[in-house]
Amino acid sequence: MAMEASNVKPPVSAIEEAHLDLYTIPSYSSWFQWGNIHEIERISLREFFDGSSITRTPRIYKEYRDFIICKYREEPSGRLTFTELRKSLVGDVSTLHKVFTFLEKWGLINFSGTVSAEPAEVQQRHKKEVRVEEGAPYGVRVVAAPNSLKPVAPLPRPVDVGGGGGGELAENGSKFPPLASYSDIYGELLQQQQQQGEEGKELVLCGSCKQLCDSGHYEHTKDEFLLLCKKCFGNGDYGSKSAHDFKYVDDTNQVVWTEAETLLLLESVLKHGDDWELVAQNVKTKSKLDCISKLLQLPFGDLMLGSALRKTKVWDRNAGQAVPAHSVQDTVTGDDQQHEHKNQGQQNANVEDPGPPHKRLCTVPNLDASSSLMKQVGRLSSVIGPPVTACAADAAVAELCYENRCSREIFDDDNFGDELGYSARTDEEERVLPVENSEGEKGPTVSGASEHRGNGANISKECCTTNFANASCNCNFSWCCSCSCEVIGCSGRERN
Amino acid sequence: MKPLSTWGSSRNPVKFRIPTSDNLLPIRLDIEIDGQRFRDAFTWNPSDPDSEVVVFAKRTVKDLKLPPAFITQIAQSIQSQLTEFRSYEGQDMYTGERVVPIKLDLRVNHTLIKDQFLWDLNNFESDPEEFARTFCKDMGIEDPEVGPAIAIAIREQLYEIAVQSVASAKESRMIKKGRKGFEHIPISKAGGIAVDLVKSFGNKSSVIRKRKEWDVFEPIVDLLSNEEVDALEATEERNAR
Repeated sequence: MAMEASNVKPPVSAIEEAHLDLYTIPSYSSWFQWGNIHEIERISLREFFDGSSITRTPRIYKEYRDFIICKYREEPSGRLTFTELRKSLVGDVSTLHKVFTFLEKWGLINFSGTVSAEPAEVQQRHKKEVRVEEGAPYGVRVVAAPNSLKPVAPLPRPVDVGGGGGGELAENGSKFPPLASYSDIYGELLQQQQQQGEEGKELVLCGSCKQLCDSGHYEHTKDEFLLLCKKCFGNGDYGSKSAHDFKYVDDTNQVVWTEAETLLLLESVLKHGDDWELVAQNVKTKSKLDCISKLLQLPFGDLMLGSALRKTKVWDRNAGQAVPAHSVQDTVTGDDQQHEHKNQGQQNANVEDPGPPHKRLCTVPNLDASSSLMKQVGRLSSVIGPPVTACAADAAVAELCYENRCSREIFDDDNFGDELGYSARTDEEERVLPVENSEGEKGPTVSGASEHRGNGANISKECCTTNFANASCNCNFSWCCSCSCEVIGCSGRERN
Repeated sequence: MKPLSTWGSSRNPVKFRIPTSDNLLPIRLDIEIDGQRFRDAFTWNPSDPDSEVVVFAKRTVKDLKLPPAFITQIAQSIQSQLTEFRSYEGQDMYTGERVVPIKLDLRVNHTLIKDQFLWDLNNFESDPEEFARTFCKDMGIEDPEVGPAIAIAIREQLYEIAVQSVASAKESRMIKKGRKGFEHIPISKAGGIAVDLVKSFGNKSSVIRKRKEWDVFEPIVDLLSNEEVDALEATEERNAR
């Protein structure tokens, strides 16, 4: 999305316009209106709109939102922090933070060319500076008790105590890798990386033919980013530079992995988890360090290194206990098609399983193993709006048909539309019509009516569409006046 | 939406757990052997096998070069805190509609923190670690030990409230017998610290605090000098004895 700014003014009378301040927000947020709550807000912050708590209502959301934006605009050149803001609002801090993050993401607050650069820079700087501390952190220091004459032993090695308790789980019966700290296993690897410099493990692409340079490449002495592979160099394909300016850099210490070895590596990692000794034994041709670095290079490699790899337990709300996650994998692969996560595993001739389910575990943590597939599908599709789900389903089925002949037979072209929510769409249109007639406005009204229906509220469709048409206030909001739901922005109308 | 229907659903009790997105238990260690004092605080995943406790204790002792006598003490301390937690597991916990104030009053090395804010017990997606991260980032705290300390302090308070609500669930079940229909569950039970939701979030009030109250809910972060730290430590020692 192009980040052009568009100017948004709060609605005021014409007389005051001359004194108005202009605030910039990104063009993709032009849906925002002061007097209105848009569907995007309803979907992203649905806890305010599903009646789940007296502490979260549409009115409260609007108060939070308006206050936060106004507060930011008091000082648009600075960045409004969450901590500065939360003291002024009554509410659960996690919920407030969610609203804050939402507004920030859409650029309704803290959107300014100069300001946003700074925190990013600071973050970059922090990432590069790794502070190496000698000795244990103060909080974990062993101190001599007062009045004790015994000297305290010095503590040279830094220790990460906070993460020590973090569980590394395995199913009962499988061998537990020894509990070791990061530097035990990866220490040698880190050393090696440092020796080889930053470019040591990176894949080198030729600047002219865009192919991978395997065993060595030519680097321009003055511009270190100008690289040529041996072939292009031999062809004289220097661009505007001369041959003398290139020096040869040997990459032969880069390890080459065949597809079979990569496959074997992934299987071993799946089976043995973090135990690199066993993994290296399985992949006989590669050393322990090579295995680790190869895994890191793979697209989902760093996911596998985390606890997602081992059979982590997923909190099963229904059963009230932790449940092994491998059953999640089974039910989730069905979902894979629905939700359009490309199977990157195929690029590396790998086993299909390691890729998507682990990504799923990371991206949708509230999946649990016990609910049926349809429930999960329902839950996932309630996270996004219906048109998006329909598009995703379309695309997924198209891909399925492309891959697999029998899918094509199943999703016969004639039935294509019907299968995938065109009927749902016509339903929506039907529902929409009576509303449109009365209000004559599109946008929030239309989607509001259907969204309202899907919220699980105790309101029947009949109530909403017919009574809505009869609503005595002309506010274009989707809450029905006559059935005890709240009308936002409506000035004097009381709730029943 | 009818507010009444939401309270109705909160009558269903939930099995005991820490009301955050990950069910991590805060563990605190304070062990003294032979004139050496070891203090630490961290989070533990209660679904870890218990064999991990000893492994962790051994690892800690090895990393910190503590005398081996600490191993059993550390393991015992962790184990007993775990067992206490487990004794509540399986019981019903009534959380209902409860927004409670969480207070921070802690010192981590040279940083002194005082703060107060509201936390929704019913929000099982809440994340104390994320809150701590935001806090440290916004306040520009560079000491990496502060964040975890804040998160653990929050967890400890949540744990305590959860334990109290287990007790109160038992009580109210006995009282509730015979009553019919919807009742307004008294929210001020279990320590009387919950926020009056109708008063704060009802239609007659604004969720924007009065300006004069902003100071109360604003975090205070102080950097102490070495002398102040020493003085405070001495006071704490005295109080602990």
